[in-house]
Amino acid sequence: MTSTAAPTTSALFIYGVVAAGAIPPIERQGVADTAIYAVTDGGVAALVSALPPGELRIRRRDLLSHLRVLEDAFAEGTVVPCAFGMVLSSEEAVRREFLEPRRDELLALLRRLEGHAQLNVRVAYDEDVVLQEIVAGDPTIAQLREQTRGISEDAGYSLRMQLGELVAAALGSARERDGQLILERLASKAADIAVEDPGDDVLKASFLVAPKDADAFDREIERVAEEQAPRLQIEVVGPLPPSAFATLERGAWES
Amino acid sequence: MAVATRGTASNYLQRAPSPSGLAEVLDVILDKGIVIDAYVRVSVIGIEVLTIDARIVIASIDTYLRFAEAVNRLDLTQTEAAGLKELREGGSKRKTEGAIEGAKEKLTPGGDKDKEREKSKS
Repeated sequence: MTSTAAPTTSALFIYGVVAAGAIPPIERQGVADTAIYAVTDGGVAALVSALPPGELRIRRRDLLSHLRVLEDAFAEGTVVPCAFGMVLSSEEAVRREFLEPRRDELLALLRRLEGHAQLNVRVAYDEDVVLQEIVAGDPTIAQLREQTRGISEDAGYSLRMQLGELVAAALGSARERDGQLILERLASKAADIAVEDPGDDVLKASFLVAPKDADAFDREIERVAEEQAPRLQIEVVGPLPPSAFATLERGAWES
Repeated sequence: MAVATRGTASNYLQRAPSPSGLAEVLDVILDKGIVIDAYVRVSVIGIEVLTIDARIVIASIDTYLRFAEAVNRLDLTQTEAAGLKELREGGSKRKTEGAIEGAKEKLTPGGDKDKEREKSKS
């Protein structure tokens, strides 16, 4: 394929894919303040905009533009989001390198994601509450805590390290236990899940929720929040375009 | 970040229809969604850098010592400990902000307006 060497002046930034003719034109401007339009081929349409010629420096607002375009499309119908930064050299390349070879998969994704929303959930501890539980539940930690209170930092250094290590380990297993529990509760109301490393939090995951389950998912989150108060704090972002669930089979590009 | 809270557990459940912070935005659009093969796609200056930087986690103070300090500061006789807010903000939040800074530095070199805005907000 030689089309990859096409001049950058006609490079197209790709936001996502919709069924051809399924949504009205998107009025919002995209990355680098460019106009959004659809490149259609065989029943699928890529939402694109033509990038200005020359070097493009991505700014914060460009990241937001990508998301907003997807949100606009999502508000009108079903969209299969692309990851940020997908650029092909021309309309021809969008059709021949993307829509045409991937049509069956894209149509299958459009069907699978139809009406579905993504909800991003982050669960964190109220650290003080959980630390109190840990001190109360472990005599060794409670004792070390008493020993290290009120003595100088230098004098108590090794005891403090010992205490901190025990607390960190206890917190780690508590996170794992609670994270798994909440994941199972919410997964029961979701069509699919995508779990990420929560870092210092308890759970970080995206849930794909079918329209018929939207209320049930909502109620389950409220129940969990209520049951776990005040030790947990839950943040829910969405409904979002289902980017975490828009993936193509790997390797198929090589064929 | 959340625009609405509701339910009896309102303090413990926060909802937002759309991501507001940069870290949340990146969570939705970076490495999520269809990826077109690098062989056929044209690269855009800055994106590779962004991908790496967004993953950078700024190390906080030594974890063990922080936890030792945290439990020592607990007032076990009170359910609502005094240093609660302070602790929480010094904890997981610091990491997120570190990551945001990391990405932002690369995104907005040389005092871009976005950076000023972010500063005045916090």
